[in-house]
Amino acid sequence: MTVFALIIINKAGGLIYNRTFHEGGLNKISTNDYLVLAGTFHGVHAITARLNPLKPRVGNRSSTSSSSGPGGLLTRPEPPSGLEVLESENFRMQCFTTLTGVKFLLFTDPTQANVDLTMRRVYDMYTDYVMKNPFYQLEMPVRCDMFDRKLGSYIREINNR
Amino acid sequence: MAHFGPGKTASSKEQAGLRYPSNGKTIYHRPLHRTKTAELSQASFAYLFSEMVSYAQRRVTGIQELEKRLNIQGHPIGLKLLDLLLTREPPRSQTRPLTIIALLHFIKINLWTHLFGRQADRLEKSSNPDTPDEYMIIDNEPLVNAYISVPREMSQLNCAAYVAGIVEGVCDGAAFPARVTAHSVGGKEEGEMWPGKTVFLVKFQPEVLEREALFGKG
Amino acid sequence: MVVYSFYIFDRHTECIYSKTWLPTSSDPSSGSGPATATATTTTTNHNHYNPATALRPSTADDAKLIFGAVFSLRNMVRKLGGDDDAFVSYRTAHYKLHYYETASSLRLVMLTDTATLSMRNVLHQIYINLWVEYVVKNPLSPVEHKGGVGVRNELFELGLDQFIRGLI
Repeated sequence: MTVFALIIINKAGGLIYNRTFHEGGLNKISTNDYLVLAGTFHGVHAITARLNPLKPRVGNRSSTSSSSGPGGLLTRPEPPSGLEVLESENFRMQCFTTLTGVKFLLFTDPTQANVDLTMRRVYDMYTDYVMKNPFYQLEMPVRCDMFDRKLGSYIREINNR
Repeated sequence: MAHFGPGKTASSKEQAGLRYPSNGKTIYHRPLHRTKTAELSQASFAYLFSEMVSYAQRRVTGIQELEKRLNIQGHPIGLKLLDLLLTREPPRSQTRPLTIIALLHFIKINLWTHLFGRQADRLEKSSNPDTPDEYMIIDNEPLVNAYISVPREMSQLNCAAYVAGIVEGVCDGAAFPARVTAHSVGGKEEGEMWPGKTVFLVKFQPEVLEREALFGKG
Repeated sequence: MVVYSFYIFDRHTECIYSKTWLPTSSDPSSGSGPATATATTTTTNHNHYNPATALRPSTADDAKLIFGAVFSLRNMVRKLGGDDDAFVSYRTAHYKLHYYETASSLRLVMLTDTATLSMRNVLHQIYINLWVEYVVKNPLSPVEHKGGVGVRNELFELGLDQFIRGLI
């Protein structure tokens, strides 16, 4: 059970946080590569949301907006959902998108269980120690000692379990 | 009063911009004791305080000025709290503190419990013989700093200057004029037990010590 | 388990085969809508699909998007997980995509519902038992399948359809 790394991407696709918790879990890549990776993932995420084989496209929504659900009520289309979990042979990546479009990518080993819970805690910490910090500017890289410290000790606890 | 919209009757009691509840009971009619143990959301306070700090940060030239502004924001609260907290005391002890020690205990216990739900962690007198007018109130984890990470280039700043302002207000209100400042003393190392440890340095005006000395003789 | 669609991309990144098993509109309240899904399956018990499912754009666009996504993710996985790592699958709230790449850079992609477990073996089976048998070993099939030439032969199509239906 190991959490490898955390990446936070802002709603414009920019990398705002990037931290490795476990050496040897993922390849070491340069900060520049991480920036590229964040941008790429942002695009792919949008594509995966569009690829839904069951639902009509945004462009077709106008023709279906009059469709009524049971009881004759207008049905609200479900919000599109992009990639949530990616699996490879060497790691597992969970992506959580907040309502404001911020993406949290948590890289763990492929057998890691309960990533939902971990993700939830990470998001809690983000809302507490980043969003409530008067010195944090929205959309900018996260540089908050308190966030680093709390996140570090929480993940260390998981990795040492 | 010329721009009252149609359909609005300007009664003699009402003033533009102020609204009174229909039964005439304003916030001043509520008993002061009812909200004694009321709790507030820490999250909403955190967001409010975050905006207060951002507001104070506008057009300031340095960290000292920023702390000064936070101090000023807290000062009137201290003045008012002194009255409120004394009113809520049992009738026998409703007198304001008359000695420095009594005042500091009042701050450490009553004020802290009212504001933060617990007492301050420690109370100390300066051991330096040159500064007998300095006292220290120590809080290991100030509630106002719970979510604040101060950027490295502003490491001198402690946002608990706001609380220092409240303390200063209480001292001033009790006729113990003082300067109160907040200082971070927690280490930045990983294993540090209280990284946010803060000392509130209370420096009384000379006349306070003079009076205290006279009291001591009598 | 529901299989929605299946794609094969060759080493020139061209989509040389695609097939969908999209459910027809089985919503009882909208029985008037013509069922125009490309292939019918036995998944009609998966009800309440919007009748507008039939209004989807061409699968060619889909294929391009899928390849773009899959290719980026595969490169990302290689970059982070090392050259020996392989992208296996991803899941959204609505569907799951499975990926399998052969040594000759043939890429098989399958879209299923989210509850489906790993389809890696299934894709491997398709490659061994259907692709190699009916396309590679077919003397009439060209080496390069430009525009899907040689893939859409009867045996392969039939075998694939039966295989997938067997899974469902």
